[in-house]
Amino acid sequence: MDWDLLHRAVTTIGKGVGTTLTLASVSLAIGFCLGLGLAVMRVSGNRLMSGFAEYYSAVFRGTPLLVQLFLFYYGLGQFDFVRDNPVLWWVIGGGMHCAIMALALNTAAYTSEILRGGLISIPAGLIEAAKAAGMSRALRFRRIEFPLAIRQALPAYGNEMVLVIKGTSLASTITVLEITGHAKRLMSQTYAIFEIFTIAGIFYLLINAALILAIRRIENRLTSPGR
Amino acid sequence: MEFGLMQLWEGGWAGALLRGASVTILVGVGAMLLGLATGIACGLIKWARVVPLNWLVDIYTTVVRGVPELLIIYLLFFSSVEFVARIGTAFGWAGLAETGYPFLIGIIAIGAISGSYSTEVVRGALAAIPTGHVEAARALGMPKARIFRRIILPQMLRIAAPGVNNVWQATMKDTALISVVGLQELMRTAFVGAGSTRSPFIFYLVAGAVYLAITFVSQSGFKRAERALVLKGRA
Amino acid sequence: MKLKLLSLAAVLACGLGPVAHAAEGELVIGTEGAYPPFSMADANGNVTGFDADVGNAVCEKLQLKCRFVVQAFDGLIPALNAKRFDVIISGMSITDERQKQIDFSNSYGEFPNQFVVKKESELAGVKDFDTLKKDLSGLRIGVQSGTTHAAYVEKNMPDAQLMTYDTLDQMQIDLSSGRLDTSFADTSAQNDFLAKPEAADFQLVGVVIDSASDATLGKGLGIGIRKDEGELKERINQALCDLGEEGTLKTASEKWFKLDISQKCK
Repeated sequence: MDWDLLHRAVTTIGKGVGTTLTLASVSLAIGFCLGLGLAVMRVSGNRLMSGFAEYYSAVFRGTPLLVQLFLFYYGLGQFDFVRDNPVLWWVIGGGMHCAIMALALNTAAYTSEILRGGLISIPAGLIEAAKAAGMSRALRFRRIEFPLAIRQALPAYGNEMVLVIKGTSLASTITVLEITGHAKRLMSQTYAIFEIFTIAGIFYLLINAALILAIRRIENRLTSPGR
Repeated sequence: MEFGLMQLWEGGWAGALLRGASVTILVGVGAMLLGLATGIACGLIKWARVVPLNWLVDIYTTVVRGVPELLIIYLLFFSSVEFVARIGTAFGWAGLAETGYPFLIGIIAIGAISGSYSTEVVRGALAAIPTGHVEAARALGMPKARIFRRIILPQMLRIAAPGVNNVWQATMKDTALISVVGLQELMRTAFVGAGSTRSPFIFYLVAGAVYLAITFVSQSGFKRAERALVLKGRA
Repeated sequence: MKLKLLSLAAVLACGLGPVAHAAEGELVIGTEGAYPPFSMADANGNVTGFDADVGNAVCEKLQLKCRFVVQAFDGLIPALNAKRFDVIISGMSITDERQKQIDFSNSYGEFPNQFVVKKESELAGVKDFDTLKKDLSGLRIGVQSGTTHAAYVEKNMPDAQLMTYDTLDQMQIDLSSGRLDTSFADTSAQNDFLAKPEAADFQLVGVVIDSASDATLGKGLGIGIRKDEGELKERINQALCDLGEEGTLKTASEKWFKLDISQKCK
């Protein structure tokens, strides 16, 4: 058992944990807001809005994340008008920002489906009662629809959060040094394939386990009282 | 602005992309079948609670669902998977073993990943079968094999169908990841073309469009299959 | 679990026949196929370049048929050990790290290495190594993963931002789009890049870094061979000596690099 190697592997790969968590949390935050907007658009009566939301969802869920990532990073980076524009270049110029954007747009599509499922599942009676009570559209959404949809969608959304954490590993293909990036670089130097990738795998398992536990806690908190 | 559409056509890349797409579909189907076989076996084990096998299945699904697919593919590809070549040779595919090495690894890796999700779908479907049906069949004195064949299996297939559709969609998209270890499927072809012609935008756009087409076609296919299953299962 | 089942099947499969991973009279050569002018592969898998010429010449000497297998660079060594091919000829330098994994033939060539920067960069006019090293700190340096160049920059310029890429193409695309300040590779690959239209604004930095100057850069190009293939190694070394004497290596080198990088046998 090569302790030196193991120690080196754990410390090197551990450096990527912060980056992985940053990538995941920022993407999830942006993706959730976008996804919520898209879900609302989808259930609205407006044909244009629901159509756009539906196509957005189909496109981003029907193509691999890797293709989306490369399309943004290399594809858009090819054009002069993007390179010369400081705002656009800030987004897709650096690997980290580009990965966050691609991940956020991707998770927004899946999130919109999950939240749409949550919004649809609200019993019609509740909505009618709210309308009868004279609640405005916005108030009804804020007090009735949104909280109920969230509670319903939480298990599925927890799943999506795990998928986003796994998705961050793809950022390693565009030079971002998160867990997988460090693991791959270390492997190229030492060729200790099994040990390095196992350690990287353990890091991900720990992060995901912690996440799932947290989600279950929130689920319990939301469903137990006030039933 | 170099759009590259002309380069795509002239450089013969259109043919290469189509070839890549066919490899993608082959790997996807192969992996899906492998995953389904694994999923049905493991799902049954978990549902029937065969100890200690179901613990192994638990470890398998937990690990494969908690670790990024890219990592699993790297692990399988870079480690000394000599026995893959040996199996290939033993079955008389000596030539395939060399040229087909990434192909085999791809199917095994994606199949293993797909299998873990299929396991959950199968297990959920089996659990959703009303226990009353099985009890009644047993009370009637039906042999176990027939119970499985006439009661459990048809219902499992029908309930699992939407879940299997989801697993298929995910499996198809996961095949793009094998491009990073060099298999000449669709994504890799786009990657090489993009690098060689310096027109990444058009190549990845076309690749994305092809994936969308595959998704769309399989979606309508599945919808039709679901409708057929529901009609048949009118018990 | 999958691996366990497969290895069980493999053990059974062993009884069905030995691993005939190469047909009789064939030498299977692993190469990257994406590193001009050493190793280039077209869409059909035909390999050309300096490495292809060396490979074909060695095959001829050994009276074996050549077959090339294209493979990502940082996967070459594991794949060699997995017996996916018999040797590696892919512009690979002999380094101590690599020698822990595989054996090498004698060196058949040695290469200088240089940085490439934009013409208007302040590094463009630098002439000595120490100034270069100082100026590079904090800059984004592109290298290919698993190469001696990656190891060199990591060791000697620790305060620079090292960006590793799987392929040369990706690195060059990012260099021309401005995501990198400079790239580091061997001079021939850099010259190949500079000949492209997108590299119009770029140039070599005048400081030439020889392989001899640092252990990370290795001891020259070698043919990678598995550790248990001592006999094959002897035959290849003999073949390389003969080719060196006959001037075949020199001809190939001048054809692809416009200079002679070949080394004679000691």
